[in-house]
Amino acid sequence: MIYLIEDTINGILMGSIYGLTALGLTIIFGVLKVINFAHGTLLMVGMYAAYWTVTLSGLHPYLALVIVVPVMYVFGYYLQDIVIKPIFKAEKDVREPSTVIIVTTGVWYVLDNLTLMIFGPQYRSLPDNPLQGKMIELGEMFVSVPKLWGAITAVVTALAVYYFFQKTRTGRAIRACSLDRDAASLSGINQYKIYNMAFGLGTAVAGVAAVTLVPFYNTFPTVGVLFDIKGFIIVVLGGLGSIPGAIIGGIIVGIIESVGPQFMTATWTEAIVYGLFLLVLFVKPSGLFGVKYDW
Amino acid sequence: MKFNRFWTATAVAGLLISGLIFTGPAAADETTIKVGNIIPLSGPSASVGQQGKNAREMAVEEINAAGGIKSLGGAKLEMLYADSESKPEKGVSEAERLINTEKVNVLTGCWNSAVTYPTTAVAERYGVPFIVPVSVSDKITEQGFKNVFRIAAKDSWWTRDQFAFLKDMQAEFNTPVKKLAFVYENGDWGKGMASQWKKLAEKDGYDVVLDEPYPSTATDLSPVVQKIRRSRADVLLLVSNAADAILLTNTLAEYRVRLKAIVATGGGHADPFFIKAVGKNARYLFDIVEWEADINKPGAKETNAKYKAKYGYNLTGEAVDAYVSMYVIKDALERAASFDKDAIRKALAETNLTSGPGMIVGYDAVQFDESGQNSHASPVIVQINDVGNGLERITVWPKSARRAGYTPVFPKP
Repeated sequence: MIYLIEDTINGILMGSIYGLTALGLTIIFGVLKVINFAHGTLLMVGMYAAYWTVTLSGLHPYLALVIVVPVMYVFGYYLQDIVIKPIFKAEKDVREPSTVIIVTTGVWYVLDNLTLMIFGPQYRSLPDNPLQGKMIELGEMFVSVPKLWGAITAVVTALAVYYFFQKTRTGRAIRACSLDRDAASLSGINQYKIYNMAFGLGTAVAGVAAVTLVPFYNTFPTVGVLFDIKGFIIVVLGGLGSIPGAIIGGIIVGIIESVGPQFMTATWTEAIVYGLFLLVLFVKPSGLFGVKYDW
Repeated sequence: MKFNRFWTATAVAGLLISGLIFTGPAAADETTIKVGNIIPLSGPSASVGQQGKNAREMAVEEINAAGGIKSLGGAKLEMLYADSESKPEKGVSEAERLINTEKVNVLTGCWNSAVTYPTTAVAERYGVPFIVPVSVSDKITEQGFKNVFRIAAKDSWWTRDQFAFLKDMQAEFNTPVKKLAFVYENGDWGKGMASQWKKLAEKDGYDVVLDEPYPSTATDLSPVVQKIRRSRADVLLLVSNAADAILLTNTLAEYRVRLKAIVATGGGHADPFFIKAVGKNARYLFDIVEWEADINKPGAKETNAKYKAKYGYNLTGEAVDAYVSMYVIKDALERAASFDKDAIRKALAETNLTSGPGMIVGYDAVQFDESGQNSHASPVIVQINDVGNGLERITVWPKSARRAGYTPVFPKP
């Protein structure tokens, strides 16, 4: 029983962090209606940014947020503005802009290989820091401190993004754009600027996720790929475009991955996650928290 | 018109080719022994191929400088290299060329087991002795060939030696080990090793308390580590790739999993960046490898220093096997005192090399059994520890190769 509790706690913590890595993906999809294949790569860029910030400054890993988040926002904003927007404009009259998906795949390959060229293939983990390897011991139970910090950050970030979308003027403009681009444009909203902002926001959230991962995970050029696939599953599970859906989808995957291996070998839990993914697609194609129809 | 031009071109090419054949090298020169080497010099394994080439060249320079083969009137070894590109068909065609056109006396190669396997068949057909410095696949020496001689340990001996090591450590430190946990990456390599572990564990009477494959791409290995912790195993045996080796080592340390020893199987644990990435969490870990630069054998340090000065990096297991194989050839030629391939094969089969510059390997002799496998070959086991110069890999097993003055830490504190 104690094992079950311990594993469930680990699953919830790790799952919230998975949710956080997928949150940016769902934000970008919600507004641009584009599956961003480069999302894992953006996470990787964030991890390198966080890794170097912490290594060079020697500060507490979470203080890297002060640098990583604005840097990633600007990076995402201009990536959208310079690389993706022209394609978007060219495909203005197409209902589902599929070329953009190909472009994001291109961004993924270019950035991954650029990182490989600059930093080499090695695996990097942070030098000694206040979070590394820390555990809270409750009798027989172990709770990882860096994961706990990560999970709290995930929930706070999701709430902040939700509040931003619901309550601020810019947030409402973004939602208007995601509901109906043309109507939003007619009401005086500059839709391309909104897209830049949404992409920047999604990238910044990937930066937050990167900061939570760096204290206990390795940084290497292809790290994004591992989280990319998981991110897609989580987002579809929770409902494309839904913010609470991303976090709850993440927690579901986290619990399966953490509790599952106690009853079977770890390789089977992957099959269960994919099985659930298929089941959700069959039964509720819009995801657990997704809206049923598209405007 | 087109038709005519095609035939003219073909005729010209044919003339050129036949011209090449007839004007090509004549019968073997009686003052040199030709050693043909088929190794990957381009393609995915090019870096190991280059290391093998460097080691061969260094050994042959030494042999020739020391007066060549004395029983053959100071005949020199002449090296011929062919690039296999790690492709089996390329290995086969290069072997045909080296044997028929270059008239080599001995062949060596090919590093990639998949290339060595068909290429040795060519050598067998022509009766040319073929030395395999290192290609680990078991089946290479299980073809019933008379001309194939392998220096390195074969695949199944790695697991055998991990268990021999466990047995020796229990006796040396008087610490019994009862419960084993097997944790391995979910690929061909990990599963293959684990199936051999299972047989050995049964034979040696251990309890296997955990048998757990995991995906190498896992983003969180704490569930697996929890299983290891709860299994209360004495010794953990691992097969891991790079990222998962780091994640496992760190997570094991975080959960303070108490084990008497962790024994890894190269791969991710032997990656040059592994120690740097995990730091002190790697301490006391055992790993099985071909060879290690600190091995306690006469001449090993000097040979490594010479190699490093010449090529810029340390000798690796593959390079050492290539280096040794040149001395095995020299030894056989001295005893054969002949250029004849049958005499050379016979001398190779009777090899019992125990000393000399080549013997910097972790075991004590090179002797071939009837299948052509070096029956003494064995990998070495290292322990990662800090003895004053930072964390490093220290050879601990077999005992004859252990670094002087080092006592392995077992059980793990």
